[in-house]
Amino acid sequence: MVDVSQHELVPEHTVLEDDTLEEVLEEYDIDRTDLPKIQRKDPALPDEAEIGDVIKIVRDSRTTEQAIIYRLVVE
Amino acid sequence: MQNSSTPKDIGQISFGLMEPEEYREMSATKIITADTYDDDGFPIDMGLMDPRLGVIDPGLECKTCGKHSGSCNGHFGHIELAAPVIHVGFTKLIRRLLRGTCRECSKLLLTEDERDEFRDQLDESRKLSRDLNDVTKAAIRQARKKDKCPFCGEIQYDIDHEKPTTYYEVQQVLTSEYSQRIAGAMQGDEEEGIERTTPDELAEKTEIELTRVNEILSGSFRPRESQRKAIEKALDIDLTEEDTNKLMPSDIRDWFENIPDEDIEVLGINPERSRPEWMILTVLPVPPVTARPSITLDNGQRSEDDLTHKLVDIIRINQRFMENREAGAPQLIIEDLWELLQYHVTTFMDNEISGTPPARHRSGRPLKTLSQRLKGKEGRFRGSLSGKRVNFSARTVISPDPTLSLNEVGVPDRVAKEMTQTMNVTERNLQDARRFVSNGPEGHPGANYVRRPDGRRLKVTEKNCEQLAEKVEAGWEVNRHLIDGDIVIFNRQPSLHRMSIMAHEVVVMPYKTFRLNTVVCPPYNADFDGDEMNMHALQNEEARAEARVLMRVQEQMLSPRFGENIIGAIQDHISGMYLLTHDNPRFNETQALDLLRATRIDELPEPSGIDDEGEPFWTGHAVFSELLPDDLDLEFTGTIGDEVVIEDGQLLQGTIAEDEVGEFGGEIVDTITKVYGNTRARIFVNEVSTLAMRAIMHFGFSIGIDDETIPEEAQSRIDETIDDANDRVEELIEAYDNGELESLPGRTIDETLEMKIMQTLSRARDNAGNIADEHFQDDNPAVVMANSGARGSMLNLTQMAGAVGQQAVRGERINRGYEDRTLSHYEPNDLSAEAHGFVENSYTSGLTPREFFFHAMGGREGLVDTAVRTSKSGYLQRRLINALSELETQYDGTVRDTSDTIVQFEFGEDGTSPVKVSSGDDNDIDVEHIASRVLDSEFDSEEEREAFFDSKPRPTNLSEHADDRLTEGTEVTSDD
Repeated sequence: MVDVSQHELVPEHTVLEDDTLEEVLEEYDIDRTDLPKIQRKDPALPDEAEIGDVIKIVRDSRTTEQAIIYRLVVE
Repeated sequence: MQNSSTPKDIGQISFGLMEPEEYREMSATKIITADTYDDDGFPIDMGLMDPRLGVIDPGLECKTCGKHSGSCNGHFGHIELAAPVIHVGFTKLIRRLLRGTCRECSKLLLTEDERDEFRDQLDESRKLSRDLNDVTKAAIRQARKKDKCPFCGEIQYDIDHEKPTTYYEVQQVLTSEYSQRIAGAMQGDEEEGIERTTPDELAEKTEIELTRVNEILSGSFRPRESQRKAIEKALDIDLTEEDTNKLMPSDIRDWFENIPDEDIEVLGINPERSRPEWMILTVLPVPPVTARPSITLDNGQRSEDDLTHKLVDIIRINQRFMENREAGAPQLIIEDLWELLQYHVTTFMDNEISGTPPARHRSGRPLKTLSQRLKGKEGRFRGSLSGKRVNFSARTVISPDPTLSLNEVGVPDRVAKEMTQTMNVTERNLQDARRFVSNGPEGHPGANYVRRPDGRRLKVTEKNCEQLAEKVEAGWEVNRHLIDGDIVIFNRQPSLHRMSIMAHEVVVMPYKTFRLNTVVCPPYNADFDGDEMNMHALQNEEARAEARVLMRVQEQMLSPRFGENIIGAIQDHISGMYLLTHDNPRFNETQALDLLRATRIDELPEPSGIDDEGEPFWTGHAVFSELLPDDLDLEFTGTIGDEVVIEDGQLLQGTIAEDEVGEFGGEIVDTITKVYGNTRARIFVNEVSTLAMRAIMHFGFSIGIDDETIPEEAQSRIDETIDDANDRVEELIEAYDNGELESLPGRTIDETLEMKIMQTLSRARDNAGNIADEHFQDDNPAVVMANSGARGSMLNLTQMAGAVGQQAVRGERINRGYEDRTLSHYEPNDLSAEAHGFVENSYTSGLTPREFFFHAMGGREGLVDTAVRTSKSGYLQRRLINALSELETQYDGTVRDTSDTIVQFEFGEDGTSPVKVSSGDDNDIDVEHIASRVLDSEFDSEEEREAFFDSKPRPTNLSEHADDRLTEGTEVTSDD
């Protein structure tokens, strides 16, 4: 099987640590359910990601070099 | 008049069912009689027009709240229904509950574990704001699988729902023909090889006593459940039939009353707000009269609202029902009346239920009842709340006026006299105000109304205008006509993007059409073949200020779709610029001044040179350069592939055409907008268009049939190419017939042949086009238009002068028509070019009848395609816009929807607006260049730069009238 997470077009997905997650939620003044979602079965997710985790995605951007997105893992 | 109560935020809205007791409590009166008015025309007490239900006639006082018509919203009444009826809006939910709960103990047919699971799922769905219906549906599906109640053990039956409002329990019971069926099966069937069964054998197999078997066979004993099953098994037959048992609304109500609160919660219903039995009505609320006003016709007769008619029906049947029941009428009659009552209550709420004939007016028109008032395009939501008709708006045909600025709109005087602007009179504008009033409502800049400080509003008439003008003092309000310079909003449907609604400054003009500058056609997608547009006059200062600053045409110069200018020169402007700059023609002083006469430039620059006669001349480049900002530097590849070079605001080299000054990303317009601002860009576009018009009129520009005709010699060469192509096609066909054609990889021989023929013919058309092209002069108007990008393409020219070429339907040569041939003019299976829609002729030479027919086939496909595409993509866009319309960029830069769920962490992932950023696929942002340019323009000298950024007021963009002052002597002036 091909591991898509290694593909150059798939941005880096990492599970967010609890304390950094708190900071993020505080920064945007939201609950974690207000985050955009990502499905558990998404092949880009790291293996250790579990439902309820928050994933940090660092994407290349034409204008800002890097764009950071957080997503909540759902079923 | 003024409503002083402060506006309030809506904290939350909760939806639920209403309890019968709640209906009674809020009711102003019980309604018992179907009559509305007595003989004297007064409303009857406890009738449908009871005065306690509110007032509609002006002057009367409401008996409940004491307010007058207009301020009294009306009050509900109620009807006590003789028997419960089902509310049509809840038939699906009722069916679900019937199927999911026990017929005996009313409990939800789920074990404790299952309930917990669904409860958890509900909580999660709520948190993730998913559709709760998915969970509740799954719960009901699970419950329906049980054929026995897990609590009381009662056997559950299937529930059948006959639309709209009848429910049956379906039971399998012993058929009445059981004896015949058993006897028949015992006979056996010789053909099928089934043996006869004797009663003795049957008794043995089923373990039923022989006497019982005989009794069963004679029909005098009905077998019990277990016996029936045994017989069915022994003889392999079915002894049951479906028995349907109608559930009356009262039965359902009793059933629902016993459903425990905890069970309802599992189904996503809040039992405190909504008990399921409330879906069965025992009390019917009667809407206030203000919701169903009666109108008095000219002849004095009263005409009642549809809802009132429907309520009359309900009350009549209700009364008959009660009378019959009290008189002890037979069950059959009662059931009929019950059904009738159900019908009337159903159609009162929704008159478009499938399976029920709609209730009709005496005239045969279906009644418009509650649901019809809300539903659909003309309904309350889409028709009255999201979209309503407005005052101070006008609509008429549009026509072009190149003398207007692109910011302006020509408004017919008769429109200007209807649309008014409120003028607060002070000492400073008192003179103006008096003049407006004294002009009266008919004279142009006049006034229609005045309002005195005491709030009294007076109409200005031809008679009283002179006297009224003298009375006007500071503190009055005058509703004056629209005058030049007022700001209005202008719109053309379909409003597909934000540039479909822009603000314009008014120029009052005679005649009946709205006039607009042709360069604003692209954003509105307007033309002048009968298009109409809407205008809205703004009614308060905030709106006028916002419109001026944000919505004016010049502020919409750049499209947020692709970040480049959407406004620019079009059509003849582009031809004109091309003529002016392509061969860089020379002009003498008079001519040069004439070209620039409609621009700000009133003095010519130094002449470009002296001609042979000793007269000074100015080149097209020099004339055009007058319009450019002094310090503009630009270098890029232009429309016709040459290098366009602008240095210090002088066009040194290159042709100005579509890619330079056109709509949709003309390089020079785009750069000026981004570097020098919208105001400068507006001036530039205005001047380019006027200069271009002068230029095209100077040279003269027309097109005729001679411009597409080619010399005989060229024609014969084209004929030759086409004959040649025909020969090659014949060769291909021969090779194909002889089986010598080799198929291309992945294609059949037939496909290969088709492809090769298509290739050959398209090459033939291109060759014909090239030959025709050789014979066109560069100054041929059609060529000028195609090269400059003003209109048309070389392909169009090829088709006009060379050959029209292959006609296609669905991307293939034309293959349809008769069996094995396209037309009866050809042999069957003729594969030649001619027989499959190749048009050898040009549009100028004319098509043969057969060619014409094929051409029409191809043309039809094009028309159908565009029609289908526009409607499909329009609908798609509508859906997309509806889905995205609630997204909003917050102050922290995130994009969120109304429930505060984040959609993007930074708008567009970079937090920038495409309009404000100058970057594309091929050019990143050149920060250094921008910075140095800003610093250069900011400081005149090094000392100043060191003395640090002095504060220089930003130029305003408020009005064109303010621009003159601003542009004089500053960076926008011309070279001299």
